[in-house]
Amino acid sequence: MAEQKLSTAEILAKLRASKSNAGAAAPVAPAESVAAPTAEAVAPVESASAAESAAAKPGSPADVLAAVRAQAAAKSGTASAAKPAAPKPGATSDILAAIRAGKGGAAAPPVTSVSAEKVAPSKSAVAASSGVPKPSVEEMLKAVRGIAADVGAVAQVVPVKPALPPMPVKPAASKDKKGAVERRSFIAACFSPLVIAFGSMAATGLLWVLDLARFMFPNVLVEPPTKFKIGSSSDYPLGTVSTKWLAARGIWIVHTDQYQGKNLIYALASVCTHLGCTPNWLEGEQKYKCPCHGSGFYVTGINFEGPAPRPLERVGIRVAPDGMLEVDKSVKFQEEMGQWQDPNSFVDATLA
Amino acid sequence: MNSLPLITFWLSLGSVDPHPNVTPSVLFGLGWLYLVLFAMNLVWTIQSYKRGRHFKLPDLFGGQEAPNAAIWGCYATALFLVATAHFTCYSRPENFLLVMPDFAKNAIDFIVADAKRYFGVTMIAFIGMLLLRNWLAKPNVGWVLLNAALLFLTISLTDWDFRQIVGKPDNVPIVAMLFIVGYFTWLFFYRANDNDRRRLEGRPLFEQEKNEKVLTWPDLVYTEMICMIAVTAILILWGIALQAPLEEPASAVKTPNPSKAPWYFLGLQEMLVYYDPWLAGVVFPSVILGGMMAIPYIDFNKLGNGYYTFNERKFAITTFMFGFLPLWVGMIILGTFLRGPNWNIFGIYEFWDVHKLEALNNVNLSEYFWYGFGQPLPMAPAGSDFWTQAPYILAREFVGFVAIGVYLGVLPMVMAMTVFKTFFIRMGFVRYMVFSNLVLMMAALPIKMVLRWAVNLKYFIAIPEWFFNV
Repeated sequence: MAEQKLSTAEILAKLRASKSNAGAAAPVAPAESVAAPTAEAVAPVESASAAESAAAKPGSPADVLAAVRAQAAAKSGTASAAKPAAPKPGATSDILAAIRAGKGGAAAPPVTSVSAEKVAPSKSAVAASSGVPKPSVEEMLKAVRGIAADVGAVAQVVPVKPALPPMPVKPAASKDKKGAVERRSFIAACFSPLVIAFGSMAATGLLWVLDLARFMFPNVLVEPPTKFKIGSSSDYPLGTVSTKWLAARGIWIVHTDQYQGKNLIYALASVCTHLGCTPNWLEGEQKYKCPCHGSGFYVTGINFEGPAPRPLERVGIRVAPDGMLEVDKSVKFQEEMGQWQDPNSFVDATLA
Repeated sequence: MNSLPLITFWLSLGSVDPHPNVTPSVLFGLGWLYLVLFAMNLVWTIQSYKRGRHFKLPDLFGGQEAPNAAIWGCYATALFLVATAHFTCYSRPENFLLVMPDFAKNAIDFIVADAKRYFGVTMIAFIGMLLLRNWLAKPNVGWVLLNAALLFLTISLTDWDFRQIVGKPDNVPIVAMLFIVGYFTWLFFYRANDNDRRRLEGRPLFEQEKNEKVLTWPDLVYTEMICMIAVTAILILWGIALQAPLEEPASAVKTPNPSKAPWYFLGLQEMLVYYDPWLAGVVFPSVILGGMMAIPYIDFNKLGNGYYTFNERKFAITTFMFGFLPLWVGMIILGTFLRGPNWNIFGIYEFWDVHKLEALNNVNLSEYFWYGFGQPLPMAPAGSDFWTQAPYILAREFVGFVAIGVYLGVLPMVMAMTVFKTFFIRMGFVRYMVFSNLVLMMAALPIKMVLRWAVNLKYFIAIPEWFFNV
């Protein structure tokens, strides 16, 4: 399984292992040693001429690459190190190429065994594998040198820069920029498709923005007026919080004597001073309690629990000339700013 | 129209509990849950049998060797019997015995319905998890924990109030998320313990030895495609099975009670209970985001790159887990399951009573200070202008300014000389100050929470005149 599906890291590791094997084996062989191309792999008989012909015509780029790499490895090993083996399936690079191409284990023999046999130390050119007709040393040397020469030739080919294609001839229209723009051509340019397209797009955008601006000033405002009558003060007995106007106007009408001991009627905005949720008036607990973060306010509107940092806000209230109470939501009165002392923020119930 | 049948119908309901803990349909559904549990454990038993581990029976039973699978088999069989009991006896729920007992409900509510105890238990569980990580990360222990959690959930479903919270379409995915968080935390410790052991024994790391690298094409692309299809299928099923929790049209003067943020923001909503909106809603989220971006520049520990480990990154992992598990996930649990009407804290088996009373009279630090010395709060004469007021306000709140200044300014120096000595040396001044302030700001949340619960502290600095509260 591991052989069938080699990971990149494993392939690299094996490559390195085989390289180091080659490096280790080479010094053992004397200086003039020649790596005998192993004939063991696929073809039972590999004559020198066959190898030569195979090398002379490097069939695929992968073959050439493999040969070059093997040569480089040999150079880095020892000065007169083993010459690269012919591009046979035995070379590590070939195995790599085979794996990449086919991903099959069949085409790729185990790398380690190959690397061991690849650099068979042979001073007198004893072929690595036995039982196979052996080519003579001269033949092999010739073959190998021929390969090396060929490979060198291939490697040393300097890439020639391809001749650049001739530049396209400039169109006549763009050439004469010097002449003044003629009136006719200017008008023609104004009606060119490009100008028309972008012009209409800009016009549409402008219209859209103008529409948006118009949208901000509706013909009819469905909001209730900020000033409204809430009935007479006798509708709000002492010690009560009226939720009559909560749903429609967002205010509580409070009649209490708990704020500084004065008997007052005032209107509290039903907006929590923490983050603006609408608290609920809990009659049993005598407090406003916010459902969002648990802020609590006394009946007077003063905060006492939860995170709300300041009391609920009062809105304007007064006794209208007809004796009715009138609320003005356009003004706010904040306790922490001392604005609850403002006579517009409450109605004295003893007078009203 | 004759209303008599309706009246008799209502009268007949007089004796019926409007919030029944168990009904035939509930029991029937629980039967299916137990059946699923049984199937899970059957698979586990077979796996255990294949692994072939043995244990020694106690001498009472002969002291022989027995396969581990025997225990799992017994447990799975018991689950199957329980499922069968549900399927056969569901028609008479009033006589059904396998329900969450009241004493257990009360005990659990006693803990979770109090923020102090809830947070304390969370912290104990967190520290215990870190200390017992080698034991907890064993596959058998993990499986037992999963079973315990599922059994707890299943038995709890026999309670009406619990069903209301957990069964809300909003909350179902949160329950699923808790299991996912648990699984991934367990998985982290499993892999980290393995690697830490390998390091001790000098073996290569799991990631090096058992390389799991695969090819992008086809392995990864196929996996992604299968995941895509599976997720789509789950979302479609989810959309069909759980109805969207739609409510009445929105109104500016009517806020749902309780009003909850989306589940992933419940941590922020909980933070808003303790800190001022601009701090909890703007500053802290920005600090969280900016701080997370700063982590790679603060971290000088090169270890743990590309593999699981705990021992090599103890401080970093503990800090992250503290921020994520007790603070973020813990606050999501608190916000989802425990916060009820008026944002009061309710037990998981407690009825959501709108009129539940909690004494929460909050006191500012300045009030503690000045009233503690028997002094009135420094107050500018009524009607004075800004420049007259300013010194009074600053004098009123000076103790809070001092506290915050010491916390963020002096404490880092003290820590640099004591607990974070090596950190200071390796980081340098600027990096260390950024690091220590981030840590302190993270710690500020639990500190404030505990102070709020313990002594009703509202704000360290309270200047509502300038919209400045800390």
